[in-house]
Amino acid sequence: MLSAIYFFVVGFIVLNAIIGMVTYVTLLERKFAARMQSRIGPYRVGPHGLLQPIADALKLMMKEDVVPRTADRAVYNLAPIVFLLPCMLIFATLPFAPGLGVADLNIGILFFLAVSAMEIVGLFMGGWGSNNKYALLSVMRAVNQIISYDLPFVFVALVPVLLTGSLKLSDIAAAQPDLLHWFIFYPVLGQLAFLAYIVTTLAAENRVPFDILEAESELIAGFRVEYSGMKFALIQLGEYAHVIGTSFLGALLFLGAWGGPGPAWLGPLWFLLKAMFVFLLVTWIRWSFVRIRVDQILAISWKLLLPFSLLLLMATAVVVAW
Amino acid sequence: MDLESRKVLEMGYGGAERLTMNMGPQHPSSHGVFRAILTLEGETVVAVDAVIGYLHRCHEKLGESLTYTQYPSIASKTDYVAAMTSELAYVRAAEIIGKIDVPKRAQYLRVVAAELQRIASHCLWLGTWCLDMGGALGGGATVFLYCIREREDVLDLFEALTGARLLYGLHQVGGVRYDIPSEWAKKCRATMDKIDGRISEFEEMLESNAFFLARTVGIGVASRELAQEVGISGPLLRGSGVNYDIRRAEPYSSYEDFDFKVPVEDAGDCFARYRVRMVEFRESIKIVRQALDGLPAGPISSRPGVKSVGQVRIPKGEAYARVEGARGEVGCYLIADGSAKPYRMKWRGASFSNLALLPHIIPGHKVADVVAIMGSVDPVFGEVDR
Amino acid sequence: MARALGQSFWRDLGDLLGAVRRAMGVTLLNFIRKPVTVHYPEEKRVYPDRFRGLLALTYDKETGEENCIGCRLCEYICPPQVIKVEMLKAEKRNFAKTFTLELYACEFCELCVQVCPTDAIIMMKSFDLATSDRRELLLDKDRLHTIGLQFDPSWATGNGLRDMQTPPKAAPAEHAKADAPAKTEGKAE
Repeated sequence: MLSAIYFFVVGFIVLNAIIGMVTYVTLLERKFAARMQSRIGPYRVGPHGLLQPIADALKLMMKEDVVPRTADRAVYNLAPIVFLLPCMLIFATLPFAPGLGVADLNIGILFFLAVSAMEIVGLFMGGWGSNNKYALLSVMRAVNQIISYDLPFVFVALVPVLLTGSLKLSDIAAAQPDLLHWFIFYPVLGQLAFLAYIVTTLAAENRVPFDILEAESELIAGFRVEYSGMKFALIQLGEYAHVIGTSFLGALLFLGAWGGPGPAWLGPLWFLLKAMFVFLLVTWIRWSFVRIRVDQILAISWKLLLPFSLLLLMATAVVVAW
Repeated sequence: MDLESRKVLEMGYGGAERLTMNMGPQHPSSHGVFRAILTLEGETVVAVDAVIGYLHRCHEKLGESLTYTQYPSIASKTDYVAAMTSELAYVRAAEIIGKIDVPKRAQYLRVVAAELQRIASHCLWLGTWCLDMGGALGGGATVFLYCIREREDVLDLFEALTGARLLYGLHQVGGVRYDIPSEWAKKCRATMDKIDGRISEFEEMLESNAFFLARTVGIGVASRELAQEVGISGPLLRGSGVNYDIRRAEPYSSYEDFDFKVPVEDAGDCFARYRVRMVEFRESIKIVRQALDGLPAGPISSRPGVKSVGQVRIPKGEAYARVEGARGEVGCYLIADGSAKPYRMKWRGASFSNLALLPHIIPGHKVADVVAIMGSVDPVFGEVDR
Repeated sequence: MARALGQSFWRDLGDLLGAVRRAMGVTLLNFIRKPVTVHYPEEKRVYPDRFRGLLALTYDKETGEENCIGCRLCEYICPPQVIKVEMLKAEKRNFAKTFTLELYACEFCELCVQVCPTDAIIMMKSFDLATSDRRELLLDKDRLHTIGLQFDPSWATGNGLRDMQTPPKAAPAEHAKADAPAKTEGKAE
């Protein structure tokens, strides 16, 4: 009973922390992108724009919820929730410090990868339920893309697993005690795996250059085109939560999770900083490239990334076996 | 579009169901108000129906009711992105009919204005094209903001010259209205040097970029025969291998005094049109520098300053004046009847004729290529709908 | 590089990595540059001398009388016909009885400034007249005079513009190049 209350409380705290972080990560991204474009991001709402995410959230809450008359109501209304749930659930398996986490499963990383792939169902429900050709077109492409990129994603994420020998996320983090042992510094394999991880993260989260899901200039807002108000907010929340989740996973797999100078209770702070580093790297790529066409995206995945990640995995297996 | 010509353009896929999608007038990448009714089979576009006319503002009727002194300020509004060349077409037509000489200094100033305008227009083209291809939240927006930053510098130059940033009213029948203020030539040269450097940055960012090349090479190929048959002009024509530039073919306003290269590419795809415009950037910078170096002293107009609305009267006659605008051949056909207003005025918009290319080159490509092709065709709907 | 992606493994990899390095390098360079934002309204951009801003009517510098003589030349030349003037005849000179200018339809083309024989109507170096009611932009004579006193005037006046444009009578061969003995304003630099 007590453990149930413990898990509930920790889960509640983590969930709220995630939502708070998601809103402020949007501000971080906007300011970072603005600096790369010779301008300043949000500046007026609060000192240097610090209250901007709150203003955005309030605005979305107060907006009218417009539902198209011909939309498939049940599917349309459920889609944001079905999309949001897996994106929140992935945080359950992440250990923020040794022993501090909601559920440090033995098959932690397997759970993470499997659940994060389930957001496709929510996406498709959103696209179909909107009864809009643009939305339909975009989710068709998106389903294609996410399915194609989940395979390399899994293979690349398995490289640190092989190097550690355990699927448990805290074990993987513990196997990188100090700077020299971070998996990113592992000769050749670590860097290649990190590179491939970044690319597959971009694709799995529909970030430019792989963002044909949203494709703002072709399909307006892709599957989100018919959503407004709080449902739109839920979709944005889910999207950014997924981005942060994979950033945290990247920090854990390659950058040594909570390792860093200073006392042990600074661990979560280092984890956060490293996750933000991965996030900013992804953002930097996002704001530098034009998007590529869907058949080219699939070509990159099947002809380039999949062989590459397979070879990498086999090479890691060979190295570990020796 | 009637049924027969539609059959010509539809490719014969059998069996699959077709979806009609509207890339409607309200669309982030239709470059203005343009409605394209796409017929899709899966992701492939099979036919394109173009609907225009959403921006019609009766310019040709306005031309009949406004006098030769009033209209040049309105002429900018046809191609509002490259306003100087539109004004130039109108005043040149009036000057040809009236056999009015334009002083050399005014001609050089017109060249400077037209070439600066070409640079500004191509900046906007590159920015919006990358914006369409890369997304408003992504790398496209980055290139867009860089290009707009460079364009702002050119617009600052125009603001120091005329007082306005977008719609100038610089030209008048007989010359130009404003002379360059002091220090303007120095500022202009500094801006040209800066833009020269920045264009190299854009090229570096885009040209070796495999993503960009994957989006543009081989897309929207317009063969030489097709280009000549449909009647396009400007960078589209030169990107398909036809070496035709009005500044060389029928030099106007002292263009024969300047030494510049006319870029021609053979491939006919979006990348070729991109290369043509990037070279045109640098050639325009060269022309501006030469014009500023050789700017003669003298009056800026052969007619006295406008004091009344009916001051300019053009005797009976008709003429068609064409200029090489940023998008192609901008032409103005005037019939004058001796009074202060034209009897009839007709605009030949460059983008209007260029849009005729779309139903020929889009079918067979994917939806994502539609925006890339439209961006490389670079329509401005003020010219299309007038 | 007329090659589709996904055809040759190692070349694709090399191309993509090179592209990534260069494009991200440009973005990083711009990250370090100073932003070009002007924090309006705390900072204002420097407007050039010839800036075409709001329209205004002026008073004579010496006598303090209104410059406008109600001749209606500006009304006739305005392309969108936003100016309406009624003349008031008096003994020594005429005045404008009413002078309305519909600023919401004005094109800011400066033609009215150009034709004015007494430099009465000019443009200001400011455009700060945003309102929430369009009727406030229907400027009458008092409002136009107030604007004239409130902001900085820009360089262009009727006589100034006409002098700049009119060719001097002493040079009939005005197409000659730099050795022509023409004396005008605005020399080449």
